[in-house]
Amino acid sequence: MKQTKHFGAALAVTMALVAPAWAQSPAPAKPAKDPAAIAALDSMAAYLRTLKAFQVESATTTDEVLSNGQQVTYSAKTMILAEMPSKLFATVSSDRNERTYVYDGKNFTLVARRVGYYATVPAPATLRELDDVLSEKYGIEIPLADLFRWGGPNWSNADITAAADAGPGEVDGVTCQHYLFRQEGSDWQIWIQKGAYPLPRKLVITTTSDPARPQHSAVFKWNLAPSYNAEAFTFTPSANVSRIPMAEAK
Amino acid sequence: MTRLAKSSSAIVMALLIGALGTASVHADRNRARTSVNRSKSVKVDSNRRTNVDIDRNRDINIDRDRDINIDRDRDVDIDIDRDRDIDVDIDRYGCCYHSGWGTAAAITTALVVGSVVNTLPPNCTTVVVNGFAYRQCGSTWYQPQFYGSRTTYLVVNSPR
Repeated sequence: MKQTKHFGAALAVTMALVAPAWAQSPAPAKPAKDPAAIAALDSMAAYLRTLKAFQVESATTTDEVLSNGQQVTYSAKTMILAEMPSKLFATVSSDRNERTYVYDGKNFTLVARRVGYYATVPAPATLRELDDVLSEKYGIEIPLADLFRWGGPNWSNADITAAADAGPGEVDGVTCQHYLFRQEGSDWQIWIQKGAYPLPRKLVITTTSDPARPQHSAVFKWNLAPSYNAEAFTFTPSANVSRIPMAEAK
Repeated sequence: MTRLAKSSSAIVMALLIGALGTASVHADRNRARTSVNRSKSVKVDSNRRTNVDIDRNRDINIDRDRDINIDRDRDVDIDIDRDRDIDVDIDRYGCCYHSGWGTAAAITTALVVGSVVNTLPPNCTTVVVNGFAYRQCGSTWYQPQFYGSRTTYLVVNSPR
């Protein structure tokens, strides 16, 4: 049966020629959530929550989107001094204005020093709850809030839908590992310091719920041993500022 | 004037001021999220943001008036510091800041109580009533307030 043999050989050769694309077993798919990236985020969050007090200076940029889809990028210099869980003194100096945020665990005060106004409202007992109330009720964002939210009570990484390790990256001369995360409404990137102090050194958040995909970026300089006293979190109005109300956001 | 006519004229006035108030005709529609851990994004109210240069214009227009008209009775040091702050700001931003975005319009007619403006007309005085500051500009009273972290002015009835 010569014909069959040749046919069989021909068939085998043909199969070998067309097979490669689909006959090999496919390479194992990378998981959408790289467990090593999630673990790095957890480790960073856990480390942050061991800090009783910290001071961070940050250079930030924040995009705003005009109604025609065009983006305007504003820059700011921010400083926060936080004593966990319930004290904060922060200043923001942006292209548009200067603001001071003071919180002592009981009251929160927002100061617009240059225009001469301040507003004080009663506040919940922790920074995380304060950030929730300010953003939902008053439309106010405490700067660099993730630094005191990561790893705290009510925090979890469950919202993250994708996580990947993008490799090493340098921020301000510090060697970091660069990770990519996705969750509903935002893609974000974080550069975590390598070594014994897994601090976030840079954060870039891209808002994906708007087609213009506006971005916020922040680079962090850390002081893990800030010197301050309790007065830092107390607000005493000077003669230059008058009290005004805080309108509720609609 | 009937109520309808009053509110129509207020709307016309607001539109007119909005159009005059800025070279940029686009209101903001959104802002980048600045936190990955907040449950809700903080909205920008596009109806409010018809003038991009809110606080800085106010610094330039209003504090100067306040110094000239109001602070005579106050500590002279305060006046000096405020002028110095304003001069520094103008030096830092004056040249290029106004050319792109326009300047605030002068508001010369009283607005309806309840409307909100981003900048005040000239010649306002500060009056403190029950511990809260108000601005009186001619016959119109404004209550400065924080709307988000921006300062805006709500037209109110006289508080006293």
